[in-house]
Amino acid sequence: MQKYEKLEKIGEGTYGTVFKAKNRDTHEVVALKRVRLDDDDEGVPSSALREICLLKELKHKNIVRLHDVLHSEKKLTLVFEYCDQDLKKYFDSCNGEIDQDTVQSFLYQLLRGLAFCHSNNVLHRDLKPQNLLINKNGELKLADFGLARAFGIPVRFYSAEVVTLWYRPPDVLFGAKMYSTSIDMWSAGCIFAELANAGRPLFPGNDVDDQLKRIFKLLSTPTDDTWPGMSQLPEYKPFPLYQVTTIWQQVVPKLSAKGRDLLQRLLVCNPPGRLSAEEGLQHAYFQDLDPAVKNDSNVLSHGR
Amino acid sequence: MAGNFWQSSHFQQWVLDPPELFKNRQADLNVLTEDGYQKIMIFFANFIQSLGEQLKLRQQVIATATIYFKRFYSRNSLKCIDPWLMAPTCVFLASKVEEFGVISNTRLISTCQAVVKNKFSHAHPLEYPYRINLVLECEFYLLEMMDCCLVLYHPYRPLTEYFKELQQDESLFPLAWRIVNDSLRTDVCLTYPPYLISLACLHIACVIQQKDLRQWLAECNVDMDKILEISRQILALYELWKSYDEKKEIAAILEKMPKPNTSPTPTSAQDGSQQSQSVQ
Repeated sequence: MQKYEKLEKIGEGTYGTVFKAKNRDTHEVVALKRVRLDDDDEGVPSSALREICLLKELKHKNIVRLHDVLHSEKKLTLVFEYCDQDLKKYFDSCNGEIDQDTVQSFLYQLLRGLAFCHSNNVLHRDLKPQNLLINKNGELKLADFGLARAFGIPVRFYSAEVVTLWYRPPDVLFGAKMYSTSIDMWSAGCIFAELANAGRPLFPGNDVDDQLKRIFKLLSTPTDDTWPGMSQLPEYKPFPLYQVTTIWQQVVPKLSAKGRDLLQRLLVCNPPGRLSAEEGLQHAYFQDLDPAVKNDSNVLSHGR
Repeated sequence: MAGNFWQSSHFQQWVLDPPELFKNRQADLNVLTEDGYQKIMIFFANFIQSLGEQLKLRQQVIATATIYFKRFYSRNSLKCIDPWLMAPTCVFLASKVEEFGVISNTRLISTCQAVVKNKFSHAHPLEYPYRINLVLECEFYLLEMMDCCLVLYHPYRPLTEYFKELQQDESLFPLAWRIVNDSLRTDVCLTYPPYLISLACLHIACVIQQKDLRQWLAECNVDMDKILEISRQILALYELWKSYDEKKEIAAILEKMPKPNTSPTPTSAQDGSQQSQSVQ
């Protein structure tokens, strides 16, 4: 542990405290995530193992890099690349103003990171602004893979998992057990709208019912015709048939017509109807994307 | 996860060079014959298989546990950590990694006790000695030694793919599958990529069923020498099995196995600090 000098506590992750620290030799700044092993039952917690496993394999510029895992007396410390802030804090510092080029750049990077995860058969499952890290070059990185998993495996949401509802798709809210990449695409849509509105969440529900109501009021209540199999979901319950005439220009006033089109193709209640990350990257919204963002350049002409 | 094998930690860090593997084994081979060493590794692969079956794990989880075990001893002497402790530790870790869920402490230890008593008393006449605190400690060393490379690729998936492509008789598949299981008792899972192992197993299965696979293999555009080398090692295992009665002979071999300095007894096993001295 002498290799790193702790600078300050930056937060609490899914399974432990996160510190900002400096490598004593190289002066590189990193984030240290301490894994608590206090629960004598499980050994190394599954969520930490999952993150270690996946990040060991997923190396991509839009995914936070796991540099090292340090072992010391009964303690594991994960050493991550350091990012200055997460998207939530970025929003807080925006004061309701965001440059539309930044919105485009962030969404592109989010979709690129997701496309890479999905091509490696990994679902993130818990995308939200707090889990998207932003560095001072305006690079966006997916982080917190503690709930991520390989797909094809039915999962139960453990009651202990306090996952925010705001970015959860209607199929999961209705208790769907089999997930696919579409779970992340819904979250990406919610984050896109939030980006376009400089940090105002799209569906800030208070509970599962309220969450679904907010979604259906905006997108209209799906039926078994528009979403085959919906009423067979384990926790399905009928909702009033909201007849909607959403004027998307009012929902995301700053977003261009192409952006609105992309947003509507992500926010589709029927999971197979949602665009994939790869398809999203090809959407016309990105036609005028800054080439520096598209071609791996580390320096983005417009960050903040 | 099943991503890109060529960019995986499995390919980049854990396809080992046979001479290096042999070199790392030297300390143990000063005490044991090569034959004896292999029989010990086979024995513990069998022990892991029995634990896994008793715990109703999928074959993939059992295969992962077996390879973790082999990875650990590919860089450490048998005396670093008692394989009787390492085996359930590998099962415990593999079931978490393969998302089978956590095996409860009591269930893991009681399974060890039951399996040793019912199936392996010829090799371990005493009660199974270890407690969960040592398994958890051992998990730590295992993780560190593997450099946290936990995601493995197995020959099962490519085998399924190749088989679909081959359109051969149904009976070929379970035979090739069993040969893949058997290949876990050799070094090939440490020294060759899984897709080559699956091809070699298919090849052997075809030979057994007197089917000609050479044309198809040639079109696969793979290194035939490697396929033949993998096949040779698996066939050598079958040769060994012909004249080997594990039940009768293993106790004498285990007797000679290099052991940790502080061999834990049921009482000292409670004390974690004592064990850690014998580690590394």
